[in-house]
Amino acid sequence: MNSPSTQFVSSRRMGVYDPIQQINMWGENFKSNVNLSALIGEADGKFINQPEDASHNTLGTSKMYGQEAHRPIDKIQRRLAQNREAARKSRLRKKAYVQQLESSRLKLMQLEQELNHARQQGLYMGGASDCNNLGFTGTVNSGITTFEMEYGHWVEEQNRLVCELRGALNAHISDNELRIIVDSIMNHYFELYRKKSAAAKADVFYVMFGMWKTTAERFFMWIGGFRPSKLLKVIVPLIEPLTEQQRFDISNLEQSCQQAEDALSQGMDKLQQTLGDTIAAAGPLVEGPYIPQMAAAMEKMEALVSFVNQADHLRQETLQQMFRMLTIRQAGRYLLTVGEYFQRLRALSSLLASRPREPA
Amino acid sequence: MQEAIPYRTTFHHSLITHSPSPASPRRDGMVAKMVADNAVIVVGRSGCCMCHVVKRLLLGLGVNPAVYDVEEKDEVGVRTELEALIHGRDKDEKVLHFPAVFIGGKLFGGLDRLMATHISGDLIPILKKAGALWL
Repeated sequence: MNSPSTQFVSSRRMGVYDPIQQINMWGENFKSNVNLSALIGEADGKFINQPEDASHNTLGTSKMYGQEAHRPIDKIQRRLAQNREAARKSRLRKKAYVQQLESSRLKLMQLEQELNHARQQGLYMGGASDCNNLGFTGTVNSGITTFEMEYGHWVEEQNRLVCELRGALNAHISDNELRIIVDSIMNHYFELYRKKSAAAKADVFYVMFGMWKTTAERFFMWIGGFRPSKLLKVIVPLIEPLTEQQRFDISNLEQSCQQAEDALSQGMDKLQQTLGDTIAAAGPLVEGPYIPQMAAAMEKMEALVSFVNQADHLRQETLQQMFRMLTIRQAGRYLLTVGEYFQRLRALSSLLASRPREPA
Repeated sequence: MQEAIPYRTTFHHSLITHSPSPASPRRDGMVAKMVADNAVIVVGRSGCCMCHVVKRLLLGLGVNPAVYDVEEKDEVGVRTELEALIHGRDKDEKVLHFPAVFIGGKLFGGLDRLMATHISGDLIPILKKAGALWL
């Protein structure tokens, strides 16, 4: 016959005893004294109205068979106690499950809200670009889907390269061998910029606002990526020792980079300003979806693609210039530090995402 | 060795800007003359934001570039005029992209080349040699 534990499992969700198991229990010990068939009939009738609480049955049991020998009663009592315990645990599990469902429901509502909000933003900015690539509007931006997939692979490959570089630097391999690894990492970065450029043509806002990056990385975002001068300022102190000449040259690089960034930022400000003016000048919407100013506004938005490309171009040039100014070993340390820095940012994002939310 | 140039944030320079207006429409040879006359000149479509970036970058370095805003109707004419100035060996090099920077009367390039040259530290010497910068 079924073991007690199996019975518990099957009736877990109901928190109710399986009457057959009870019958088995009783039947084992009181075969001679009990009308088994009568019991079964009774149990069937009781099945639907089976109370959750064990005490009823315990009372019933003791009332019916109280006059019997102690040993069998001990066994019964023990088993009933086990039943009670199992029922209690079952109730606790049910409670935990329900709580989990509730919190998941809340999270789902939150996510839906966020997505709707993002979709609204997408509609405001107009144009054919889908702000979110989840196909809510029925169209999926294949350029972005491709990029998302490629970026996933890129990060994996990047982690592998960083690991390899770390190993190589610790193992003190020859400069020529190190150069090969350094070159492959540099090319890997250049590959990313090419992919970003293609993605920007598909959906410039997706790239510009770093939808493909993790939350902590997005905090530092400047035109579709990290601010190159900031990266220099953060990472360079960590790759000492440097010669006096190197420190001087790097300082000049930081300044040139800052100047280029400021020029681009001012260009972005001008774009915002002219766009704002264009939309303000549009006047009341007339019949038809487009009016001249709206078309002009949309055209201006496309200028963002140039900005993303120029910003990436700046990042690439800065990286190449750093490479020219450092020895191969220093370049290796620089790339390792940069790689680890971004790994930490991504890890931070994961931690933030998995943190349990405080109840409101 | 590059001299460290203090970077000025808010900056109001009087730019020598020429744009054809209804009163003085673009005359043939006007742009070419401006290119020849100025140490640095930026030629771009009027209202273009990339042109603005080029201008601000040069201003930030202490250069006072001449600016020529090209109206849409004049674009073809200006382009022909300027491409004639370019001494390129093959046909590709003769194509002009806006915004275009001319230094010392010769086509230097667009924003790409400007930024790359600045990052490598070669821009300031070039500007000094053309007389656009004094220190």
